[in-house]
Amino acid sequence: MPLLKAEGLTFSYGSAPLLAGLSFELRRGDFMCVLGPNGSGKSTLLKLLTGYIKTRGGSVKIKGEAPGTMAAGRLARLAAFVPSETSTPYDFSVAETVLLGRTGRAGFWRGYSAEDRAAAGLAMEETGLTRLAPRSINTLSTGERQLVFIAQALAQEASLLLLDEPTSHLDLKYKADIMALLSRLAGRGMAVAAVLHEPALARLGCNKALLLRGGGEYAFGPAAEMLTVASLARTYGLPPGSPLLGSGFAPG
Amino acid sequence: MGRNKPVTLLLLALAAAAAFSLAAGPAGLSDPAVILNLRLPRTLAALAVGAALGLAGALFQGVLKNPLSDPYILGTSSGATAAAVFCFLAGVERTSPVFFLAVFAGAFGATFLAYWLARVAGRLSDASLVLAGVAVSAFLSALVMLTLSVARERSFSLFYFVLGGLYAVEPRVLLASALIIACAAAAAMSRWRALDAMSLGEEKAYHLGADPGRERLIFFALACAATSAAVALGGTIGFVGLMTPHIVRLAAGPSARRLLPASAIGGAALLAAADAAGRAFFPPVEIPAGVIMALAGAPFFMWLLWRRRPDASA
Repeated sequence: MPLLKAEGLTFSYGSAPLLAGLSFELRRGDFMCVLGPNGSGKSTLLKLLTGYIKTRGGSVKIKGEAPGTMAAGRLARLAAFVPSETSTPYDFSVAETVLLGRTGRAGFWRGYSAEDRAAAGLAMEETGLTRLAPRSINTLSTGERQLVFIAQALAQEASLLLLDEPTSHLDLKYKADIMALLSRLAGRGMAVAAVLHEPALARLGCNKALLLRGGGEYAFGPAAEMLTVASLARTYGLPPGSPLLGSGFAPG
Repeated sequence: MGRNKPVTLLLLALAAAAAFSLAAGPAGLSDPAVILNLRLPRTLAALAVGAALGLAGALFQGVLKNPLSDPYILGTSSGATAAAVFCFLAGVERTSPVFFLAVFAGAFGATFLAYWLARVAGRLSDASLVLAGVAVSAFLSALVMLTLSVARERSFSLFYFVLGGLYAVEPRVLLASALIIACAAAAAMSRWRALDAMSLGEEKAYHLGADPGRERLIFFALACAATSAAVALGGTIGFVGLMTPHIVRLAAGPSARRLLPASAIGGAALLAAADAAGRAFFPPVEIPAGVIMALAGAPFFMWLLWRRRPDASA
């Protein structure tokens, strides 16, 4: 059974369709990038997948269950979502923020269990945040803060991880680090889907690609077939010779 | 232990404020009967009202992810006050359940109206929420003033109620209010983690496993219940709910697990001190606690806005 299955997803904000009959599925070990021009529905798609926005048609199943109908705690145990930017006026520490990833597992009243703390500790280790644990998240750089919310998602111990532009506003080193981390997670049996802005990044480890071309048109398939220069040129409306598209998917 | 230091500090402040409140007044400490019969109930009322407002402030600031919100600014207090004034004029007893229900309905209605207006305006997290709250409370205050101007015969005592003060505390109202406040505090404490999730924003809360719509309703209801009980006791007292969470966050941190009890204790200490100060500074004249709080609170609000200016260090 696929971990995530979207069938015939349809959505629009106005009269023009944003997504029309979009179908794809992800299995354990898949790392999918979602690419497309601004306004093609990439962020909206992620929120449709978790049921935060209701679809106008079609269905989403996470481990065979529809996210819109499950209790919020159940969804958080199955799928984790990292928004493109999370800000709060309050000075939560890194450790507190990561521990909040356990909200869906910890009950009310009681504090965090040893198991919760172990999961949060592991997530911070994985993302290299252990030494920042007591710092306020508002004193971190954008890249470090992005890592905190990825760590929070890891603490959820969900098998599906969805990320909205996890690498935007970051320098090249952070971009590479985050892509390597996501590949590692997929290699460990999670399914990862990330909205990205640069095809070059998608070639670092993604095995599936979903291209949104606007107006409901889309393409889904193995990254090697999807991330060719011709296919990307069509997606972004650029001439195939544009240097922005890079040199295509380098096999091997 | 180091972890409990803020709590110890807060409890010391609470004890000091309570002692100040028991000692403050023209008669000083000379008459035990005055202390026991007049100042003790009044001190207890100040503690209960302060705790309720501090708690409500922490709840609103968390659930709305907006540090500028509190029951006074959102119109919750005005809604409760308007409902209370109409109840008085209609002859509803202050001790009857109908009174409490009406005051709660007023508080809840005003809060949701302000929330809905801010939501329609598009941005919850910033000034539009304050604008909506100001619009709602200004209208309700005007309605109350209009009513008081028309209903002349009883308006003098009601005027002092609207101004916010703790004069004639009825033991039964004190008991009922304290009970409501304690229940609201316990219920809020049991959901501290959901409140923390909400203070990262609704979208994040949803994906962490808290239903934002449901949590908003629950925390609004709890904050409104606490505010209604406070208004039933002491009328409209502003700024306790705004200031307290900001002050106690410095010691207790932002997590609701410690912020909620700390805000309740801190609010109790703050209002008991303000009420005592109102009695101590210009004897034999009494300054209403609401006026003292506004004197201290309005500059505090200005400082908060100043601190949020774009060029302030991040």
